[in-house]
Amino acid sequence: MIRTFLALLALLVAAPVAAEALGTTNHITPNLVAESAAPAPGSKATLAFAMRPAATWHGYWKNPGDAGLETRVEWTAPKGLAFGAIQYPIPQTLIIAGLMNYVYERDYAMLVTVDVPKGLAPGTKLPISAKLDWLACNPSVCVPETAVLETELIVGDGHADPAKVAQFDRWRAALPRPLASPGHFAITGKVFRIEVPLPATAQAAQPYFFPLTDKLIDYAAPQKVARDGDRLVIETVAHEGAAPAKIEGVLRLGADSGVSLEATPGTIAAVSAAGASERSGDTGLVATLIALGGAVLGGLLLNIMPCVFPILSLKALSLARSGKSEADARGEALAYTAGVIAICLALGAVLLGLRAAGQTAGWAFQLQDVRVILILLVLVSAIAFNLAGLFELPAITGGDALASKGGKAGAFWTGALAAFVATPCSGPFMGVALGAALVLPAAAALAIFAGLGLGLALPFLLLGFVPALRKKLPKPGAWMDRLRRILSVPMFLTALGLAWIAGRQAGVNGMTLALTAAFIFTLGLWWVGRRQQAMKPAAWWPLIPALLVTALIVATVRNAPAAATVATAEPGHERFDEVRLAALRAEGRPVLLYFTADWCLTCKVNEKAAIERDEVADAFAAKKVVTMVGDWTNGDPAISRFLAAHGRSGVPFYLWYPAAGAEPKELPQVLTPGMLAALPA
Amino acid sequence: MRTPILGLAMIAIAAPAAADVPTGAPAPNFTLPDAAGKPVSLAAFKGKTVVLEWNNPGCPFVKKHYGSGNMQKTQGAAKAQGVVWLTINSGAPGQQGHMNGAEAAAFVKSARAAPNAYLLDPAGKVGRLYAAKTTPHMYVIDPAGRLVYQGAIDDTPTANVADIASAKNLVLAALGDLKAGRKIAVAESRAYGCSVKYAG
Repeated sequence: MIRTFLALLALLVAAPVAAEALGTTNHITPNLVAESAAPAPGSKATLAFAMRPAATWHGYWKNPGDAGLETRVEWTAPKGLAFGAIQYPIPQTLIIAGLMNYVYERDYAMLVTVDVPKGLAPGTKLPISAKLDWLACNPSVCVPETAVLETELIVGDGHADPAKVAQFDRWRAALPRPLASPGHFAITGKVFRIEVPLPATAQAAQPYFFPLTDKLIDYAAPQKVARDGDRLVIETVAHEGAAPAKIEGVLRLGADSGVSLEATPGTIAAVSAAGASERSGDTGLVATLIALGGAVLGGLLLNIMPCVFPILSLKALSLARSGKSEADARGEALAYTAGVIAICLALGAVLLGLRAAGQTAGWAFQLQDVRVILILLVLVSAIAFNLAGLFELPAITGGDALASKGGKAGAFWTGALAAFVATPCSGPFMGVALGAALVLPAAAALAIFAGLGLGLALPFLLLGFVPALRKKLPKPGAWMDRLRRILSVPMFLTALGLAWIAGRQAGVNGMTLALTAAFIFTLGLWWVGRRQQAMKPAAWWPLIPALLVTALIVATVRNAPAAATVATAEPGHERFDEVRLAALRAEGRPVLLYFTADWCLTCKVNEKAAIERDEVADAFAAKKVVTMVGDWTNGDPAISRFLAAHGRSGVPFYLWYPAAGAEPKELPQVLTPGMLAALPA
Repeated sequence: MRTPILGLAMIAIAAPAAADVPTGAPAPNFTLPDAAGKPVSLAAFKGKTVVLEWNNPGCPFVKKHYGSGNMQKTQGAAKAQGVVWLTINSGAPGQQGHMNGAEAAAFVKSARAAPNAYLLDPAGKVGRLYAAKTTPHMYVIDPAGRLVYQGAIDDTPTANVADIASAKNLVLAALGDLKAGRKIAVAESRAYGCSVKYAG
């Protein structure tokens, strides 16, 4: 009797255990969910493994840490479906008895994107089966678990239940966001350090570096974090003998947010309280050389910019016309080069000075000041009127008072003027080279500015040193006067552009003042020219009152308050706002984000010739593309930091954010309507 | 209630971090009691190749290799080459897989395992000395006393017995290289399994 009772008792006790073993055996309950049950052919559908760990249990990240296991999946699905790798959300750290575990102790979702083949007919059934193997552990026991999960998609129009989309958006938000600019790491003995470019404004409440590369760091060792301006440095204990060529990992910033990044070996400067960062070493040298090449190339391209070409042409013209000796030609070419490089170095030194002072200053910063614009306007309009034949200056061909000086001094100042005028035309290559200049040590940065100048001076240098090239130039004659008149046209256009910028910066009054200054200065020059024609002595004196009035105006005019010039967005374009951008991205909307400035000619050309064209607007409307514009005319600091975070120091800069939060794509600096209309949403 | 939790937390912090032994460096000596309580020293096996195996009979990954007979087969092949095999248990009392001497002897017998000794390290001192992180976690020490292999038993990190057939046994590969006087092809791998259930 007692035996029967005991046996029954044993059964009763055993029953729930058995039920647990047979029914919900898993300590982490998995669920396979599709964002859209009806994905469109040719689209990327998103699937999720939604994991629910029981209390006290946890699942593992891709790199599990000291122990544990990565989750594995085997797909069984119709041919043609291509499954991406598992995308893990940002994990938590869990130290058990001195061993580090990278885990999830809460519900989490691992996402997988699936390429749905193009040719599939709507209504095609796509049965998908996933054999998922994962490790579930609690602090004392580990259990390898497995499940076969099934779902069926039916090819359709891509429609998704908004609630599902919202759910997936939350899951996607938990994934690390890829960081465009790579970091650097250094291993010195037992010390591992990683430097991540991170704007000073970026929130980092709980920074922690989760390496994907194994045998890199001692997982359980504490990590020391330091913020220093726009970089974040983490220091911890290196794994014995670690020497990888490249590492990957995730930098956690907030509780559930972070960035995924790659890092290459480099030398990392000590974190200083002042925020000054100097990097050196082999990697620095290679980066400097690459940036130098980009700078020379960029400078070379600046020659064909409308604001530089007339000056170059004039100089080449004078060289051809004067019939100087070889030595003189070489001397002038060298002087011109020196002028270009000197002004580039001076601009670079100012930029570095500002950088050291902790200011976020972009490349074309000197043109953000309306007074600088005003001086340029006066100069350019004087040149333009001279070219047009309103007045003649003796000596050589013309140009402004300084650039027109004969011989080497004139060549030097022509070069200086060319460099100064060229800065707003930040063309292709230049942005990258200058971005590098901003992060490199001072000497390397200056070398890059010099490289930019060298590139700009190169064509004229060649003319000076290769007589054969010069002989290819047309012989002097009456055509030169015609050419001079023609060359006045781009000069006038440049003046027009500068006047407009002055107007944008200082309003109608400011523009009127600037034009008045240009007018009075030109008037003075005209008078000088007439006196010289009449061979009168002291022909230059009328210039003195003209200069005085100009100086007075320069001293008077001021930039209008930023608010007055900010609302520049084209109708239908949103103003740049990172929060709004993140929201749009979370919504899955494709976004064209571009940065512009009124003083940036290349930007304006791209806007008129591509972005604001009707066919582009129609294509964007069809794809629900949001066009977002950041106006950097007055050096908006938020945009400066955004550009710096993307390794840029100037505009234009075009970013295409495809739908569904996919990685942003940088567009080239020369846009065409066809290219924009064809962007994949 | 707070105090014990705080105390535990402090012990966890105080627990010495596992220090790695670099591959190629001298394997640090240790002395541990075997299942019968007899002290066994690594130094006693100088001149012989030694395999260290971290064990926790409750761990599913250990069960994968014992249940399939893979670990016993590896032990047999090693011993046939004159290699000394030491199985070590660093599980703390109260933790999964912790055993006293009698239990350890019973485990070896029932599993038909063939280590030269089953060593008990309930304080986790030797486990931490070698930075043993998982069960199983395997080490090979050459006759000169240098650590020449550390990592997993094979190259397929799963708990599935069916995977053993297609997996490459990295311990046997290392022993083969050592015997042939070759450079060890895979001298380090990522150990996989349950975490060692250390005290703390």
